Amino acid sequence: MKRRSVIATLGAISLGTAAPTLAPGEVLAAPYKLAKKSLKTDILVIGGGTAGVVAAIQAGRAGRQTILVENGSQLGGTTTTGGVAFPGIFFAWGKQVIGGIGWEMVQEAVALNDDTLPDFSIPHGKNHPRHQVRLNGQLYALLLEEKCVEAGVQLRFYETPTQITFQKNNWVVETVGKGTMTQITCNQLIDCTGNAYAASMAGFDVLREAVTQPGSLMFKLGGYDFNALDLKLIQARYQEAIQKGELVKADFRNNIVGVLRSQGDNISHVLGADSTTSESHTVANIKGRASLLKTLRFLRTLPGCEKTKIIDVQNETAVRETFRIDGHYKITHADYVTGKVFDDSVSYSYYPIDVHDENGVVPDHLKEGVVPTIPLRALVPKNSRNFLVAGRCISSDRLANSALRVQASCMGMGQAAAAAAVLASMQNKTPLDVSMTDLRKLLEEHGAIVPNGLQKG
Amino acid sequence: MYGLKIRSIRYVFLVVLGILLTHDGVGQIRYFRAPTFPLKADTVLAYVAAAQDSIANDTLFQMLSKEGYPTAYFRKIRTSVCFDNKCRLLKVTLYWNPTGRYLGFDLAKGEFLSKAEHKPFKVAEYERLSELLADPLSALATVAYSELAPPTKPITKENEVDGVSSATAKNILDYVVEGAAYTTYKMWHVVYGPTQTEVARLTEKRLSPVLLLAILDSPDGSDKIWGLNHIRGFVVPTPALQQKLVRFIDKATYNLAERAIHALDPNGPNSEAWQVDLVDKLNTTNYALQKLIISKFKEVAVLNAQAKKGLAEKLPVFNGELVSNILDVFRQHNVVDTDICRKVADLLKNPNNFIAQKAFTYLEKLPLTDAVIEEQLKAYRLKK
Repeated sequence: MKRRSVIATLGAISLGTAAPTLAPGEVLAAPYKLAKKSLKTDILVIGGGTAGVVAAIQAGRAGRQTILVENGSQLGGTTTTGGVAFPGIFFAWGKQVIGGIGWEMVQEAVALNDDTLPDFSIPHGKNHPRHQVRLNGQLYALLLEEKCVEAGVQLRFYETPTQITFQKNNWVVETVGKGTMTQITCNQLIDCTGNAYAASMAGFDVLREAVTQPGSLMFKLGGYDFNALDLKLIQARYQEAIQKGELVKADFRNNIVGVLRSQGDNISHVLGADSTTSESHTVANIKGRASLLKTLRFLRTLPGCEKTKIIDVQNETAVRETFRIDGHYKITHADYVTGKVFDDSVSYSYYPIDVHDENGVVPDHLKEGVVPTIPLRALVPKNSRNFLVAGRCISSDRLANSALRVQASCMGMGQAAAAAAVLASMQNKTPLDVSMTDLRKLLEEHGAIVPNGLQKG
Repeated sequence: MYGLKIRSIRYVFLVVLGILLTHDGVGQIRYFRAPTFPLKADTVLAYVAAAQDSIANDTLFQMLSKEGYPTAYFRKIRTSVCFDNKCRLLKVTLYWNPTGRYLGFDLAKGEFLSKAEHKPFKVAEYERLSELLADPLSALATVAYSELAPPTKPITKENEVDGVSSATAKNILDYVVEGAAYTTYKMWHVVYGPTQTEVARLTEKRLSPVLLLAILDSPDGSDKIWGLNHIRGFVVPTPALQQKLVRFIDKATYNLAERAIHALDPNGPNSEAWQVDLVDKLNTTNYALQKLIISKFKEVAVLNAQAKKGLAEKLPVFNGELVSNILDVFRQHNVVDTDICRKVADLLKNPNNFIAQKAFTYLEKLPLTDAVIEEQLKAYRLKK
């Protein structure tokens, strides 16, 4: 008995040594396990950016079960995380052309921040930013989230798809996230990743240009009086630094005066910026931040700029262009600049042709009265069923895409894609088989503006 | 550096000049745009402001109608326009509307504006100058004075294309009279400088519902917007003003409609009448405005019975979001009327569960005793 007692005591001592000492209130957590789950939903939206949020809200408000998967920590994408908090143009030639859920959110963000809207009745001429609505990006992100929750959308942050397969007329999407591995079965899938990432994973063709548009790291500078600067001297010093290889001409569009005038904002250019994968987006972020730091140090050597400081920098480089789907219809530059209306036009787009390159950007404005439109077929990959895209990965040529990519157009697309998915899900059809009459009706009921000329269905 | 700062109004003196707007003497150059209202000036007040700028004359004149409404403001500008180490004197009188909008300019008899090498302006150039000065969003707002000139010679062939100064100067051509960039720039910055703020401030001191009604009748849209932005917090609205605001709510003019809805004083006079009119507007406006209109009812102290009925009648036809907005209004005003709640209960059968759920959430928290509604709630719970 004595011997047993000693051994038992030793065992207890040994165990006591291995286990952590817990303070009052602490509990020992169970070993980390990946939580595996299977979910079913009517509609799955992948990507909670500009188009994805609108799509998810539309689907939820139309009464369909909806899941939204987003790989970041907040909604809004380019407008919020990317910091391009001026989401394009909603009015053309004195009339509203993009409305619905996108405009509703913009309108609420403006009101809640006591901002004022531009006067859309005054033509913007060659200066289209006059009609841009400046938002408080962080407030906007909060509103988006509230509206998704109110619409019954199940939000899944920090998740990304790893596999997408079509099984028994449904899509089965495997995702991974922080401590999660989820299988989501949905009837209709909407790719709003901006990069056609889900479309590619699902096996559909995607395209890209050999050279894509640069991205931008949004930031704000302060600490100097622009009107007091010797701009000619600054420009000469800037050119000198470029010649010496200390600065890169393309990083700020060869325009240091522009950087100072606008106090940063949307002026950096990150060549080759690609947000498709973690690795490519990491490279874009590092490049954007490094060039900003280098330029800040340069600015602080200039007379009058010695106290230049960074007021704010976004968390990531915003990206303009990556992959596009090979859709049932490819919107061409000619379609865009002539404002072609298709039988299946589901929303408008309005922006100048706006291709950024290493030299900067010179917008090519639309002729008076022209308002381009987006056909449903451009949102559907060839050979697909129950699958749509919305956002900049729309099927289009490069020039048309340079305008279609802008947020207001993406909002219109998001709502249209979701409405098509809702009807397809309710009627057990694929989106292209949905009646255009039904689609127009549903969109208009939810405040969207649908181009005239829809006779099909 | 160019800058103009009026630091403080030191004193005001009254000058009675009789009719002042008779500047059409032979040989006088004057360009004017549509005034806010066509009332004749009867009196002129002069406000002397301490100014730290290159403009010698620091007096701002306020022209008043017989009724005491500010009809226009003007300032006699005497300033140097300097470039290439040469200066010449710019003598011009600039006019503002009571809203701060650019009204026009005139020159003393025999005076004229000149371009580089002292070439006088042609008629088309005066007209263009007036057009350019009327653009409050001109790129000149963000251009530095020193950027107006292109570089004297390109640094390298490469920079000839990309050099900022030359490129900017080329862009600026859209915003200046060619050959008179500095004159255009100086005048534009006076028009949109601190004087404009001062003009608006002086008008604000004279605002009344009647004056605002006159401003809202201006032929210029920006005057109307200014008027709409100067109602709440500036005057106690009258029934006439409130009704006028309702008339601005038109889907064809979004900006005016949005501002008018904002300007409506939810607890101002004539609430019964305009609440009903506002509900009627739901029939003729689009989604964006419908949302704003419905939200306005959340601000009123008492929801008018007819307006309440009108809102309830929209429940079967509106989309889920607007239904939700109407229910928020009802919640705000503790609407428990059986006839209204029965209309809400009908939504429980809506095939769109988003709408049905909104109705359920509204009804389940009410102390209802109506058997019909109770039955519908029970059926909904079972279906869930």
